[in-house]
Amino acid sequence: MIHLAKEDIRHTLGKFVVTGMGVGMLLGIVLIMMGVYRGMIADAEVLLNDLNVDLWVVQEDTLGPFAEASRIHEDLKYTVKGFQEIDKSEALTFQNLQLPLQLQDKKMAVFAIGYDVYGKINPINQNRLIDGRALQNDHYEIVVTDKTGYKVGDKIELGRNFFTVVGVTSGSVASGGDPLVYVSLKDAQELQFTYANKRVQTDRARGLLNKDAHLVNAVVATIKAGYDVDEVARDLRKWQHKSVYTRAQQKVVLTRNVVEKSSKQIGLFTVILIGVATIIIALIIYTMTLEKMKEISIMKLMGLPNGVIVRMIVEETLILGVLAFVFGNIFAGLIYDKFPKNVLLNAADSSLLFVVVVIASILASFIGVKKVVNADPTAAIGG
Amino acid sequence: MSKEQAIKVENLNKSFGKGDSFVDVIKDASFVINKGELVALVAPSGAGKTTLLMMLGCVDEPNSGKMWLGDEKVYENKWLTKETRKIRREKIGFIFQAHYLIPFLNVIDNLTLLPQANGVSDKAAKSKARELLKYFDISDKEKAMPSQLSGGQNQRVAIARALANNPEIILADEPTAALDTQRSIDVVKTLKRMALEQNVAVVMVTHDDRMLQYCDRIMKIENKTIVFQSES
Repeated sequence: MIHLAKEDIRHTLGKFVVTGMGVGMLLGIVLIMMGVYRGMIADAEVLLNDLNVDLWVVQEDTLGPFAEASRIHEDLKYTVKGFQEIDKSEALTFQNLQLPLQLQDKKMAVFAIGYDVYGKINPINQNRLIDGRALQNDHYEIVVTDKTGYKVGDKIELGRNFFTVVGVTSGSVASGGDPLVYVSLKDAQELQFTYANKRVQTDRARGLLNKDAHLVNAVVATIKAGYDVDEVARDLRKWQHKSVYTRAQQKVVLTRNVVEKSSKQIGLFTVILIGVATIIIALIIYTMTLEKMKEISIMKLMGLPNGVIVRMIVEETLILGVLAFVFGNIFAGLIYDKFPKNVLLNAADSSLLFVVVVIASILASFIGVKKVVNADPTAAIGG
Repeated sequence: MSKEQAIKVENLNKSFGKGDSFVDVIKDASFVINKGELVALVAPSGAGKTTLLMMLGCVDEPNSGKMWLGDEKVYENKWLTKETRKIRREKIGFIFQAHYLIPFLNVIDNLTLLPQANGVSDKAAKSKARELLKYFDISDKEKAMPSQLSGGQNQRVAIARALANNPEIILADEPTAALDTQRSIDVVKTLKRMALEQNVAVVMVTHDDRMLQYCDRIMKIENKTIVFQSES
């Protein structure tokens, strides 16, 4: 049997391909949206995975540094270390900084982690270090990510001091998608907790002597082998009056509290875009069917079964959908790395979109099929 | 000439509307058209030519009467089969005012589409199509698209298409309406030759009196009834 859909497409190949490309760009955006969501989830876990700690001790009744402000004393790390189940514990600071960009009168938002350079827990994943080294000195050294554009040896002015770039990492991002930079705990505390000279003078005039800079945002710890992390967390909560989260709980905080709304927003955009793509495919197929109404009437008048004509419409819709899907993947593949934040394309999302496109195409073809079924064969008679 | 029956109609009636808008179109039509005949159907506009053609083509359902296509009774106060489209596909060929070839199919595919829908193999359908293209002297155009052919060539392909499913009847709706006089005469002569040589009944609607001389019989619709003017 002659493949009507194939012959019709061949007849208007250029128009069909351009249409497929247009719808494909829309599907490409859908893939990008899904990739942005995947990227957010992956970004949210980068720091968590790089630190690879079992427990997060933060200010009481707060969700921790990724979700809300948390201030605790640095020396809490010693108290935590005093627990027999604890293997290592260190204090960390987390803060947003505006990093001045080289040769530009602009600043880049980064997320800075302060850690004890001589401590036993290092947040810098050695696998991410693409140039230079980790911090080795207590002061004025900084490790940046490649997205900042800085290279080893560059100087960056932060607060009252100049920092030397000693290492460059790749793929280090905070849960919000901002690039990560690493400074020593002492420098971080100075940047975060030391007031400017004018503020100090004003506070003194008011009789305030707020000089305590030995604050941190979290204490992280690993536990010794053989202990149950949940039990240790429960003990710490009981005795130290702090909020304590296990790694799994912190992951939930990050994915649920930090990126949940964004992911819902992206999900809604994705659904709307798929809806729009379906409507566009339906309209295209409807128009293509309208253009063939005379031929369809003739085919019906000659006695061609509805099934043959309906198959042509459904196949054309499916081929358009699949073509758009292929173009969508190509388009997404070409542009995904141009986005400022991490976009992760994966085969599972692509497969899911393929299924959705096939279903949407079948739904979209109904409007053309209805037109075929209702076509009047007598319309072929007369002028 | 063969006297094998192609169309037989007895007391066929067709009306439209109800109450005040009720209109009789065809009343008590009874006639026989044999294979090998070229019959012209002539009537003023709005007299019911297309309605009659559509009833003979099993597209419009009559209100009452009886109708045979070949030996098969297809209508007796109702369609005797739900598959009227299958009857069209197997027994009837259509020719229109314009060629109305499927623009996205080449010549040979236009000719083999219907036979293949009837279950004829691709090879057999193509063989028959090539025979017809040779018969109409357009063998060299089998791969051409309709848009690449002249008006006359397209009309010949359209006539060949009407024969491709080995029909017993060809219904032609003003096939010369869009053609000049000489080409119209050529087409009607072709239809006449085809009726004889392919042994099919051809019913041709026409407004052009100059074509009537080439027809075997002239069927008129007068006062809603069928009248045969003369027999040549």
